This record gives sequence, structure tokens and C-alpha cells, in this order.
Amino acid sequence: MSVLRRNNVMLIGKGPPMLFLHGFGCDQNMWRLLAPHFAETHTCILMDLVGSGKSDLAAYDRQRYDTLHAYAEDVCEVLEEVASAPAICIGHSVSAMIGLLANLRCPDAFLAQVMVGPSPCYINDGDYVGGFERKDIESLLETMESNYLGWSSNMAPAIMGAPEQPELAVELTNSFCRTDPEIAKQFARVTFLSDLRSELPRLHAPTLILQCSDDLIAPRAVGEYMHRQIPNSTLAIIDNVGHCPHLSAPSASATAIERFIAQL
Amino acid sequence: MSPASIPGPEQLYDSAPCGLLLADGNGDVLLVNDVLCTWLQCGREELVGRKRFQDLLTVGGRIFWQTHLQPLLRMQASVAEVKLDMMRSGGPPLPVMVNISERPWNERKLLHIAIFVAEDRHKYERELLLQRRRAEELSQQHARDEQQISDARAQAEDRARFAEQLVGMVSHDIRNPLSVIQMSAVLLDRGVSAEQQRQVTGRITRAVRRMQHLIADLLDFSQARLGRGLSIRKRSCDLQQAIADGVAELALAFPESSLRHERVGTAVMEADPDRIVQAVGNLVANAVNHGARGEPITVRSEAVESGFRVSVHNRGKPIAAGLLPRLFEPMVRGAAPGAAQGVGLGLFIVREIARGHGGTVDVHSGEEGTSFEITIPRPHP
Repeated sequence: MSVLRRNNVMLIGKGPPMLFLHGFGCDQNMWRLLAPHFAETHTCILMDLVGSGKSDLAAYDRQRYDTLHAYAEDVCEVLEEVASAPAICIGHSVSAMIGLLANLRCPDAFLAQVMVGPSPCYINDGDYVGGFERKDIESLLETMESNYLGWSSNMAPAIMGAPEQPELAVELTNSFCRTDPEIAKQFARVTFLSDLRSELPRLHAPTLILQCSDDLIAPRAVGEYMHRQIPNSTLAIIDNVGHCPHLSAPSASATAIERFIAQL
Repeated sequence: MSPASIPGPEQLYDSAPCGLLLADGNGDVLLVNDVLCTWLQCGREELVGRKRFQDLLTVGGRIFWQTHLQPLLRMQASVAEVKLDMMRSGGPPLPVMVNISERPWNERKLLHIAIFVAEDRHKYERELLLQRRRAEELSQQHARDEQQISDARAQAEDRARFAEQLVGMVSHDIRNPLSVIQMSAVLLDRGVSAEQQRQVTGRITRAVRRMQHLIADLLDFSQARLGRGLSIRKRSCDLQQAIADGVAELALAFPESSLRHERVGTAVMEADPDRIVQAVGNLVANAVNHGARGEPITVRSEAVESGFRVSVHNRGKPIAAGLLPRLFEPMVRGAAPGAAQGVGLGLFIVREIARGHGGTVDVHSGEEGTSFEITIPRPHP
């Protein structure tokens, strides 16, 4: 089966390649405010991780995707297929780590890494502050389980409408962040129980860590930790509450990324 | 209708039959109604300007909010029927259903949140989830059971097929010597010379010995097959001498073959000499049947530091590689022509005898011939 179909790969714009990887809980539409901006100067490669968005759910193999390495393998395959030159990888949240793993796996495919709200390990461990305890992750899984319908169907727009966003295509509204609930649960477990701290010093590509000033998922201490551990890294703090600056503070995010790219 | 005949907007807001909360885009609480304050068991002043909506959720709910609900809101401006747990002072979390819509107001966006208690629904859903998990476990158990049944069935079928084949082979192998005996009786009945009579009785004796051998093999096999293993009666004995005597007897039984015995060292040890000789006998019989005619067969017995080794070597065509792994399984027969062979239990019994002594049997087969080697360890004192 084609890699492009498997990961629902979309290309927009023209120029050197720029790869966008969405985080846990959503899909490539997360980048809808940022990608069009960069498409003026770059070929933006958008993809859905297998199991998310409009990826081919039949390609989801529970055993294979029980580790982030499988996702990194997929990323390398996509780049091999579509990228004509080393790409700038923009990964959000867990996908910042997937980007890192992919970079370690096939270093020639990458020019630089931009990590948006990354965390190498979500669970506190001795002196390391990840922000969560194991029981918190259990609590997340429970919440997801009791929102079973929230993943597979999406009644909200039909009931309440999205009156102030006429530009949104209905089709998009109905599919955003939607996936198989069982897959979402496994991906949550794989994401939040991962520990890739030991991989950080191995990344030598120029790296931008985009840290939000107030982010529950990736607290500032984590961003600072990553900055210390990744040799060739820059830390930029964006004034933003929440975990998705590319949605809630798109222009600040774009500016920080452009400043970083200019120095490459 | 006079204006006082129904409550005013503020009263309606405060006493609405659901919790109501207004927050700014980041979730900072701007307004709450009395009902929600009562549910959460806290004063309005503890919430307004101090907390964010997401602070009122369990940690799992907060992660869910940030990774899924908030992006969803940004995208489609509303979510409905979300199940969350809200923290309340001095009590367990309160299960609620939440509808949220994001609406612009004076250049900014506000979150309108309606909250409904869902305690009974929560219990019911938990029950459903438990039952679903139980059903999944049962279905997995069922799949495992089916697998077991089909494995057991396949095994039983194997055994049945095996038994049928065994009956066929045994009948065949008994019919040959019996017809020899019958023909001999006919000859004797006709009256023959003394010289012919000796030949005829010799034939009868050999036929009887073949049947006795076959029956002994079958008894050993059924004993081993029933899981009890072969009966091994160990005693202190001179294995070298026992094998020398055994080879001498085998030389008489196979007069057309040239049988050589090489012995190295002395081996007085704990073992069952009759069984070891039986194993050597089975290997020699195989060598006679499958080896190149006229080529010597060599029995080599050797005392080694770790125990004792005896091998039987013959020249001839190598054993097919595909056959090697199954060679010691019951009823596997080589390619030699029919009547000379046994039921295919010989090597199985050799292996059982080696195992009964805590040892092993190996086979090497190539252009230089075929060699079976039994190794048994010296028992620890």
C-alpha cells in the first residue's frame, strides 16, 4: 500500500521541504493556521500519523504501533517518498519526539527540528519533573474511555453549530480529531508512558524548542531540561496558555520559527 | 403578563437547572451560577478571577482538555456531550456532562459552558464498561478454549492415524515370518532329508526370532509411549564386555555382514547392560538394512572422562537431510526395500534407552557414511 495513502500525505506550496507532524489527540488540521503561511516559501508536507485523522486505519497494527519508533519509521518513509532535499521538521508534542527518533534513524533526511511543546518524558522521576504521576495518566485513560463517543462521532457541530467560522468546510468540521477510540487509547498510553530522555543528547541537528509560557502538558521545566540535553538547541518561549500555540498564537509561533530558520 | 410574574435574567441564570460558567479564551472563570457553586461546594469568590475551568477538572480531564477538547473548540467553536469529572472540595470528583460553545464578545472570545450532573449515568456507563471488558475477556477465553480443543483434536487425530498405521505395519511384519513358518511346515510335512530339515528349522527359528524382536519392540514402545519411559535397571557392570558379547551374537545373527568392534578403555559403571546392548543391536540391524552391502560395519565403544560413548558406523548412501530431524520419531522408516525393515520403532527405542541413562543419541550422515553415536554420562557418585 502506498505510504502517501497510509499517512494521508498532503503537499502544499513550493520550495524547500517542511514537514508538519501533529501531536496526540488530533490530526494534520492542527496546522491549518501555520502551514498556509509557510507554503508561500516552502513545500509543506502534511501527514496524519497512522491511527489518527484520515490515515489508513487498516494499517494500524496494535503490536507495531506499541512504540513511538514505528511512527518514526513511517516518517522516514514519507520523506523518502516526497522530499527532494533535507526537510525542516515541525513536530508538535509527542511528534517532536517522533521527529527526533526519525532524525536519529535517517539523519540525512533532516535539515533541522522545530519542537512545539515537546516532552521527552511526562512522568516525574526522581529529580526529573515531567509534570505527571502515573496515576494521572491512568485518569486520562479513564476520561478517554468514558468519552468513547467523543472520538468516533462528533455531534457538536450538528447540534450547536459553528456560526462564527463560516470558512470551515462542513466535511472538515465533522472529521477533525476523530479516530477509532481504541486506537486513541493505545496512542495515549504509548505517548504518555514514553521515556526518551536518553535519546536527547544524540540529536545533533539544529533544534528549536518552542515552549509555551503556561502549558500543563509540557511545563517550562521540561523545555529547559530539553534545552540543556540537546546539544545544538535554542529555547524560545511563547506567551501562551495551553498546549497548542500553533492554534492559539499562530503569528508568534510563525515569527519564532522564521527567526530560527533564518539562522540555519 | 406583568414583568414580576416570571424571574429576571439573573435569577434565571443562578437557578437554572444546570451549572453555568462563563470563561475567557484561556479558561479563566468570569462568571458562575449558584447551582454550580453548590455542586462544587465552594464559594463564587474562590472561582471567579482565581481559577480556570480546566483547573476544576481531574488531571486526566485537564490533559484531555488540552490535547483534544481545546483544539476541537478552536476548530469548530463548540463541543457537546463531553464527559468529565469536576473536583470539589471535600468530596469525590463529580461526574458531569459538558457542552461548550465559543462565542465572540467585544473583540475577544468567551467560552459558554453548561454543566449537567451525570452521577447515575456515570454509574451506568461504568457498569457497561465493566461488562464490556468482561465480555472481551470471555471472548478471549473462548478463543483460547477453542484453540485448545482444536489442538487436542489434532493430537487425537494424529494418534488415531498413528495407531492405524501401526496396525498395518505390524500385520505386514508378522505375516512375512508366519508365511515362512507355514511354508516350512508344508515342506516338513512332505518329508525331507536331514540336511534340508536342519535348514528348514533354522528358517523357522529366525522367523520366530524376528517376531519376538518385533513384539519386544512393541512392548517397549507402548511402555515409553504411555509416559512411563522404558524400564531401565541399572547396576554396576562392565559395559565394554557386555558390548563385546553383544557384537559376537550379532555377528552370528548377520552372517553375511562383516561386523567389527573397536573398544577403547575400560568402562565399569552404573548402567543397564541389556538395554545398551539392545540399542547397539537396533543400530547394527539398521546398518545391515540400510548400509552398502559388503562394506564393513564398525561398532566403536569408548570410555571417556565424562562417561561412555558407543557408535555404529556404516558406509552407504547418506540419509536424506529432510529425514534427519524426524529420524528418532516412531514409525519413521528409511528408503530401504520392504521386508528387511522393522516397524520403524528401532531408533525411537535407541533414543529412549539413551534418555533413560540421562544421555543422548546423535546422527551424522554424509558421503563417508552414516554414524549413530550414543553418549551416556557417568552417574554422579
